[in-house]
Amino acid sequence: MKYGKVTKEIIEQLVNILGEKNVFSDEEKMESYSHDETPIEQYQSMPEVVITPTSAQQISEVMKLANRYLIPVTPRGAGSGLSGGAIPLFGGILLSVEKMNKVIEIDYENMMIVVEPGLVTNEINGLVAEKGLFFAGYPMSLETCYVGGNIAENAGGGKAVKYGVTGQYIVGMEIVSPIGEIIELGGKIIKDVTGYDLKRLIVGSEGTLGIVTKAIIKLSPLPKFRTNLLVLFEDVDSAISTVPKIMSEGGIVPTSIEFMDKLSVHTACNYLNEHLPYQKAGSMLLLEVDGTKQSQVDEDAEVIGELCLENGAIEVYVADNYTTQERVWSVRRNIAEAFKVYSPHQSLEDIVVPISSITKLMPMIEKIAAKYDIKMPSYGHAGDGNLHTTLVKNPDSTMEEWYDIEEKALLELYEAVKVLGGKISGEHGIGAKRKKYMDDLVGPGEMAMMRTIKKALDPNNIMNPGKIFDLK
Amino acid sequence: MNIVVPIKQVPETSNVKMDPETGTMIRDGVESIINPLDLYAIEIAIQLKEKFGGKVTAVTMGPPAANKALKEAIAMGCDEGVLVSDRKFAGADTWSTAYVLVKAIERIGEVDLVVAGERATDGDTGQVGPNIAAAMNLPLATYVSKVESLTENSMTVERLTEEGYEKLQLPLPALLTVVKEISYPRLPTLRGKQRAKITDIPTYTVADLDVEENNLGLKGSPTRVVKIETPKVTRGGKILKVVDDQSLNEAVDNLIAFMKMKEII
Repeated sequence: MKYGKVTKEIIEQLVNILGEKNVFSDEEKMESYSHDETPIEQYQSMPEVVITPTSAQQISEVMKLANRYLIPVTPRGAGSGLSGGAIPLFGGILLSVEKMNKVIEIDYENMMIVVEPGLVTNEINGLVAEKGLFFAGYPMSLETCYVGGNIAENAGGGKAVKYGVTGQYIVGMEIVSPIGEIIELGGKIIKDVTGYDLKRLIVGSEGTLGIVTKAIIKLSPLPKFRTNLLVLFEDVDSAISTVPKIMSEGGIVPTSIEFMDKLSVHTACNYLNEHLPYQKAGSMLLLEVDGTKQSQVDEDAEVIGELCLENGAIEVYVADNYTTQERVWSVRRNIAEAFKVYSPHQSLEDIVVPISSITKLMPMIEKIAAKYDIKMPSYGHAGDGNLHTTLVKNPDSTMEEWYDIEEKALLELYEAVKVLGGKISGEHGIGAKRKKYMDDLVGPGEMAMMRTIKKALDPNNIMNPGKIFDLK
Repeated sequence: MNIVVPIKQVPETSNVKMDPETGTMIRDGVESIINPLDLYAIEIAIQLKEKFGGKVTAVTMGPPAANKALKEAIAMGCDEGVLVSDRKFAGADTWSTAYVLVKAIERIGEVDLVVAGERATDGDTGQVGPNIAAAMNLPLATYVSKVESLTENSMTVERLTEEGYEKLQLPLPALLTVVKEISYPRLPTLRGKQRAKITDIPTYTVADLDVEENNLGLKGSPTRVVKIETPKVTRGGKILKVVDDQSLNEAVDNLIAFMKMKEII
């Protein structure tokens, strides 16, 4: 597909639609819109113009214009993505929803909130907490990310074991389609089989099938109490085999079940100067239970703790207040930072496998790491089988060697994941970063279906082109 | 070796909001935690017990809810907890608090060592520990960073001073206030939590203690709070921006010049 260039005339027309202050094309200002949280030296790409629309109507007109001149349009939220989904690979128009950040309505009777896509996710929780409610489907970056980006990536996070991912809470939305139509999907309703579930198609479509301009979000009762357990295990097997037992034997669905392998535990503890007796630990689980009654939360924590000890845990630590909870979570949160000290060049992965396959996957990962002489710590959401295995460059190798190793090791990792019945992304998305692996790892029938949908909804392929897969 | 650790429940302040009009803290929904510096006192007390045997008792003066802090201390490894609680204690300053705590410690029984945190993160005075030592006529070592040795009737400690370290030998019984350097507080274990749950914590009220009512609470406190205000931050700072090799070199030169001027290097 040959795209048109953003000419002076097109910029003038954009200014007519959006007003002067919502259109800019000076390099310096556009730079921050040219990358996300993926390595800048690998994935950066400059837009030709950045626009900051304030209404669905404006976006609709922009999309019609873009179709006329075949200009690619890349929608963007807060730019905290981890797969390059918001990077304008072909230049064109970068459409930032940053100015569409209003709360349209809080409907307490229906326990729903209607917001624009540029709202920072955590603001929802700030607004509804006093009524004892919260938005349960948020990711770990909730203090910076936007609702629109969460929907585009179907973001998950540390609490998905119990609360699931973003999509489960999006009951309705308004979108602008790739050809510029404003369409309402779903509504303030919990059930809806009135035709295809198109809102769920938009969720996780990474901005390739339309731009969300309004979201209706279901709220949940905010748990009042929470307790964490930090559990040291001798090896991966004993930790992972405990996970399903917590739910099946314990009858408890924890809020979080975070896993850290030996390399992650040791590196993070060493980085934090944390003096837990982690030296003996071959892996670690960090669990959270929450609820509306302290006694219930205490009891659940005790049941889980006992199960861990029965399964060979070396020690179970209990954190039920701010001081200790911050301390145990900081181990998990600082893993990525800790490895940056060792080597700043990394590939943060997002693989997802059936929970019980984690034990089979770990030795496969160790083999890949040994083969390419890199570090490959694995940590993440064990309760979802979702691991942020990270490839960390050997500081002794050159960048050229690293890029070569990264590509080969990734393919081997992804193939291992496929063999185990898993997928290459659980919550970060494919974006620009992983699309070259899609055709090898996803079935041809499924890929054909995706391409058919894309072609039907975006006939000119201008809506965030070059993401997830290339059209054939 | 009988060790008593006086602890305090304080508001968790890292997420706290201040009322801009009154300059006071908005306490609604603020969690109470063990004063973070007291955790170091608890830790070293438990370590000494583990090495030399004996018993560690945590004691706190506060409302009934302060029970939670004592349970946490027991979960960490203290053997017992004592809650000192009575409406008549409300509003006590450091002197009155120390007065009551001394009476409580006397009631607990024979004490070989009292270990307190350096200071509390709310009042920030660091007075209660030394006050207790004075009232009990105990030798005192403040800002202790290391316990070097301990025998039946004396101990050697290292204390942190502005210039370095000081080594002190104290006859026992004695009182130490400790700094973070002394150790790393352990996390409570599941077994510890279970033990804490079934451990009864006695409450000492005015009736249980040999105290004079005139020395209690707000009216027994010589300290008068005249005014509370938020101090203005007067520290300035200069940020040296670095965008390329040239500005990096300039920034380094400026930094070196600055440190030479201040006679740091």
